[in-house]
Amino acid sequence: MIHRDFHAPILLSKGLTVFAIAAALSFGGFVAAQEEAAAPERIDLTNFPGKIVDQVVVPIPAEIFSVLDKLDEPEWSRGVSIPDEPGDGSDRSLLALTFGSLVGEGFIAVQAEEAGDIEEIGKKVLDLSQALGLSNAVQPHSLAIIEAAGDRDWERVRDELDSTQQTVRDTMDRLRDQQLSGLVSLGGWLRGTNVVTTFIRESFREDKAELLNQPGLIIHFREMLGKMKGPSASTPQIRAISTGLARMEAIITGDGVISEEDIKGLNEISRAMLEEYYFTP
Amino acid sequence: MTLPPTSVFSRRDWLLLVAVIGMLPFAEKASAFVNEAISYAFEAATPYVEHGFEVREDTWSGEVEPGKPLLVRHQLFRGNEYWFWAGTSWPGATVKVDIFDSEGNSIGLESFAKGNFAGVRALPEKTATYFIRVVTQYDPEKAKLDEASEAVEGVGDYEGMVDWGLVYGYR
Repeated sequence: MIHRDFHAPILLSKGLTVFAIAAALSFGGFVAAQEEAAAPERIDLTNFPGKIVDQVVVPIPAEIFSVLDKLDEPEWSRGVSIPDEPGDGSDRSLLALTFGSLVGEGFIAVQAEEAGDIEEIGKKVLDLSQALGLSNAVQPHSLAIIEAAGDRDWERVRDELDSTQQTVRDTMDRLRDQQLSGLVSLGGWLRGTNVVTTFIRESFREDKAELLNQPGLIIHFREMLGKMKGPSASTPQIRAISTGLARMEAIITGDGVISEEDIKGLNEISRAMLEEYYFTP
Repeated sequence: MTLPPTSVFSRRDWLLLVAVIGMLPFAEKASAFVNEAISYAFEAATPYVEHGFEVREDTWSGEVEPGKPLLVRHQLFRGNEYWFWAGTSWPGATVKVDIFDSEGNSIGLESFAKGNFAGVRALPEKTATYFIRVVTQYDPEKAKLDEASEAVEGVGDYEGMVDWGLVYGYR
């Protein structure tokens, strides 16, 4: 284990540079004093003597995209596909799924560095937040997305997309609407999975296919839908998405081996699930 | 006992707040305003942003009995590099964090632990679910010193639980 020491200034935004330099000077002192933490080489996960945290943090699509960018040169602009009327309906569960997928679309547009698409997505995100009754919380983020896209500040756009999704989920949680909050994550994950499988399908390689080895997340989403209550739980769309996740779970067994045929299957299943609420069939 | 509520600040807000606090001559008193576990974790993460790490908005947090380890499951992708940062804001509490694969083998490449925050770095060898272990400790003598030096207010008396928070970043 190696101790790491940072003395470099913190990078924030242009307007915060002066603060950043001062903060870095301050950090230099205490970070240098950090101690190396000795970890055990191995623990027994089958007999863990503590508490397993049941909260699940779903990775944002950008986490997977960054790996795909290292392995290949996807033509991200071909992956952007913004629906004309996303969230055309009143079912809040479908609106939450659509919101998540639209944020996922934003992450694809950032990879493509398509400022026009990002601005359009920023506006649609705001429209959708109004339908969800969350426009006050989302408006600052939506404006920031549009502004950052105009500045071609892609890192900031990514930050704001993550913030937008998190703000919506936090607001839903505070309103005791955890059911909707989880659907936002599912919508983003589904859109990301669909575009990633599209690119991998076009030029298959095992190391790229391994990115889909996410059995824990699929189980999490299946359990989440299984716990849904109210009229939304039994809509044809939610039932179809639940079935789609079950089919995905059958493909992703957790052994890490995902074949070209598996990728084709995952791509078609994710597309069909998105056609339930996001894409036009 | 009532712990401070989880923050609704965005990461950018935290970065600004931490930067401003870094400028203040009386940082101890100012830190009372960010006396939350998550804020300590974000504070630990802040210097890494300049090194290209995207720090996620989504976090884990809660309360735990000191000494009782916590295990967080999380999906990691081979090809990304990760840092996990843990924090606790409770006076007298310290935190450590480490990371293991599904077999229970440690995969941490480097780590640090300094009182209220800690971090561990990993480069996963395969795309899979990993396990992040967070362990807090409580020292009543340290608590007295912390309360005296940091003028911590509003956290109540110690009743056997401390707060904890965990954030992560990737590049």
